[in-house]
Order: sequence, then structure tokens, then C-alpha cells
Amino acid sequence: MEQFIQLENFSKILPYAQLFKQGMLVTILLSLFTVVIGFCIALILALMRMSNVRPLRSLGLDQNGHLREGGFLAFVSKFNPLSFLATAYVEILRSTPVIVQIFIIYYGVFGLIKLPSFQMFGFIKFDRFFPGVVALGMNSGAYLCEIIRAGIQSIDGGQTEAARSLGLSQAQNLRYIILPQALKNILPAIANEFVVIIKESAITYTIGVQDIMSAVNAVKGATFVIVEPLLVATAVYFCLCFPTSKIIAYFERRMSHGDKR
Amino acid sequence: MGTRDSLIQVTDLKKHYHMGAIKALDGVTVDINRGDVMVVIGPSGSGKSTFLRSLNLLEEPTGGAIVFDGVDITKKKYKDAQGNMVKLDIDKLRQKMGMVFQHFNLFPHMTILENMALAPIKVKGMGKAEAEEKALTLLDRVGLKDRAGAYPIQLSGGQKQRVAIVRALAMEPEVMLFDEPTSALDPEMVGEVLDVMKGLAKEGMTMVVVTHEMGFAREVGNRVLFMADGMLLEQGTPDKIFGEPEHPRLKDFLAKVL
Repeated sequence: MEQFIQLENFSKILPYAQLFKQGMLVTILLSLFTVVIGFCIALILALMRMSNVRPLRSLGLDQNGHLREGGFLAFVSKFNPLSFLATAYVEILRSTPVIVQIFIIYYGVFGLIKLPSFQMFGFIKFDRFFPGVVALGMNSGAYLCEIIRAGIQSIDGGQTEAARSLGLSQAQNLRYIILPQALKNILPAIANEFVVIIKESAITYTIGVQDIMSAVNAVKGATFVIVEPLLVATAVYFCLCFPTSKIIAYFERRMSHGDKR
Repeated sequence: MGTRDSLIQVTDLKKHYHMGAIKALDGVTVDINRGDVMVVIGPSGSGKSTFLRSLNLLEEPTGGAIVFDGVDITKKKYKDAQGNMVKLDIDKLRQKMGMVFQHFNLFPHMTILENMALAPIKVKGMGKAEAEEKALTLLDRVGLKDRAGAYPIQLSGGQKQRVAIVRALAMEPEVMLFDEPTSALDPEMVGEVLDVMKGLAKEGMTMVVVTHEMGFAREVGNRVLFMADGMLLEQGTPDKIFGEPEHPRLKDFLAKVL
């Protein structure tokens, strides 16, 4: 009778251990770069969405320089192109599948822009790896943007009023008052997003990034063993994701000193 | 009492919403002099808080003028002494106006000392040691020096409000604005906050106080404004407002609260 797991199959895939090791390294690097790029994009997007740049602002003032109370010009004067662009970006990226975005970036964007084809660490194909990082980073940027924005907006308006009434500028208020409090509130959501990035990075094997999933496929093709390589991949992903959430939970505890009596 | 010079002149101040359908402020005109302790009373929704918050532009008025230190702060730009158009520096302006809120608004992620030293260090560019020394002196004045290392959540409401007051004082403002400073406090803590405010008044600090504490208005205020429906209906000395009120709305209000 066939069994779900056959121990001798593990010895069959053992010679390919090196592939899994390399795949794990690629997944880690891919996730790290994605997180960094995603976070930078997200912070910029969140600030754009909450910015107060209104090029048509002067249309909202009457001859005496006072704010108009309403009407078409008052409405137009509130138009904020930065916020509009950021909102459009977030909505488009969140409303389309990651795999479509990855293909568009890989075949579309980097079909036009030729990347140098060298190998990082002697085995990571740069012209596959880089588009993968860009696509995943852009995608997670959209999600992280919403997390950061929600975090900033969850801070009581009285905090900003107090800071501004003390003479702090808008930027100082953000830097010293709002972001430290917001970051603490959104850490669980960020941890969740980091874990999602690690798992989602598996999809980049479709454009030839040699991550863990691509190692699974390679071993499958060479040995015709399917379930056991998948179990190895499962173990590797778990070992990457579980500690990530634990580490962030540790920082969360460390930052909560203002909450305890 | 000596001569008083005018610090803030408010002229026909208006704050309208929805094309004027809602008039939070409807033409308030008043002069605030140096050393004044001006108490603003009135039923809720009368525009007292909006008036106070307009003074440091936490609310942007839709009409009228607020001249502070010779500059109309409701305009985005003004002519300086040399006749050049300059942009209004709102952060500079707010440094000169301390504000105390109903809900204290201490920064929960900072200790009391950090709360107090932040603005002097970051805004005025004061050294850390100097700012902290000054903060401790101020905290000592309100009897909270030993709580300097505590976080806001570890303090009682009255203690928080005393900290909020000295935090604003650390910027050495020319005028202090109080937005219902005792309304969120348990009754037994109201006294300790009012005592600090009384001390400030005695030192000659210019204060504008929105409050429901009629005892404080009577005892400490030198001028009382009565507002209703966004308008300033009556003003005068406490004796006059509480002793011989004229406007029927004021008589009605006093009958309810006294």
C-alpha cells in the first residue's frame, strides 16, 4: 500500500540538500529586501495620503484672504495631487493579484529595461531576483501604507493639538509624538505583514527566482518525489515565519512602557 | 492695577461651516490686555471653546481679525515693519501662547520630565541639561518634582493637569489659554488645579479661561465674558456679571448654574 510519507524518499532527496540551503538563503534575502523597499514605499505613500499639499489652495480664499465657507472653488481648493496619486497606487495594487503584478514587472517593465545578468553569491540570478524584489516590494508597500496610515490616524487628535500648541512643527510632531506612538500600535499588523511577505515570496519561483519553491520543483523533476520536498519546504517556511513574529512580539513588549501603571 | 496695554485684539471673529448654515462664532469682538484673567462662560455649544481655539489657530476662523503682537494672525501673510510681505510663522506664534486642554493631552510615551523638556529642546534649541533643570523647577512649583520620572498613566487626573500647565509654562508664553481645564477631573481634584491657576494669575500671567467653575470666575477673573450662540452677549467685571446681569440669556444661564 502506498504511504503518504515514505522515509526512503527522504534519502532520495538528500543529495539535493544544497539546493534547499540556497533556496532558503534566496527566500531570506528576498524577504529582507522586500520589507525594506516595501516599508520605504509605504512611509512615503502614507505621508502623501495624509499630506496637506494643495496647489489650488489660493482659490479657496476670498479677496480679503479669508477661507471661503463653501462652494465650487472651496471644493477645488482642497484638491491634493499627492494624496490622489498615493490613493490610486494603493487601490490598484490591492485590487489586482500579486502574480499579475509580478509578470507585468518581469516581462513588461524589465523586458524593456535590460538588467545585467550576473550571479550574486555565485548562484542567485540577478535579472530574476531583482524584478521579484521590486514587484513584491511595490505590492507590500501598498498594504503597509494602509497599516501605517491607520496607525497614525489612531492617535488621538489631542496629541497633535498639544504638540502644535507648544510650537512643534508638523514634521516635529510626526517625528517625536505621532510616529513613536503609532509604531507601537501597529507592530502586530506589521509582524503579520512581514510573515505574509516571507510566505508570498514563494510565488516568485514563477519568474525563475531560485527560492525554496524552485528547489522543490527542481528536486521533484530530478527524483519524481513530490510530497517529501514539500514537507521540507513547509519546515523551512515555518522556521522562518515563526521566529519573525516572536521577535516582533518581543519589541512590542519593550515599547509598551507608557501603558503600565 | 496700573495701565494695561492690549495684547490681543479680536475683531468681528467668525467661524462658519456649510456656507454659513452653522455659525460656531458669529462676530466676536474683544480686547485682551496684558495681565487680564479673562473668564469665558456660557452654555455648551455657545462657541466658547471655538473662540479660545481660534486664538492660536487650532481652529481657522472664516472671518474677522485677531491681532496679536501687532500682527493679524488670521491672514496667511502680513507686512512686517519694513513693509515686506512675510509668511505668517504659525509655529513661532504658538510658542507665545500656552494652551491647556480639557483632556490634558500629555504624551503617553514620554516621562513627565521628557514631556516638559521636549518643546524647549526641539523648538527653542535649549540644551538638554538646562531644559531639564528648568522643568524640575517648574514641577517643584506644582509639587510634582518627585514624579518627574513617571509616565503620565501613573498620575491622577489632577496631577496630569498640573503637569500640562507647567509644560505649557516651560515655553515662557505671553498668554495662557485654558480650555475647560477642570471639566474632566474628579471633583476632589478640581481644587488642586484651580490653585495652580490662581497662583499664575497672582503672578500677573495673562490668561483666557473657558470654564464652568463659577467660583473661580468670580474669585480670580478680572473680566468675565458671557457667550451664547457664537456671540458675545455680555461682558464685565465678575461683580457686574454675577451681581447685576442684564441680558435675559445670561440671567437664565446663571439661574441654572448657580
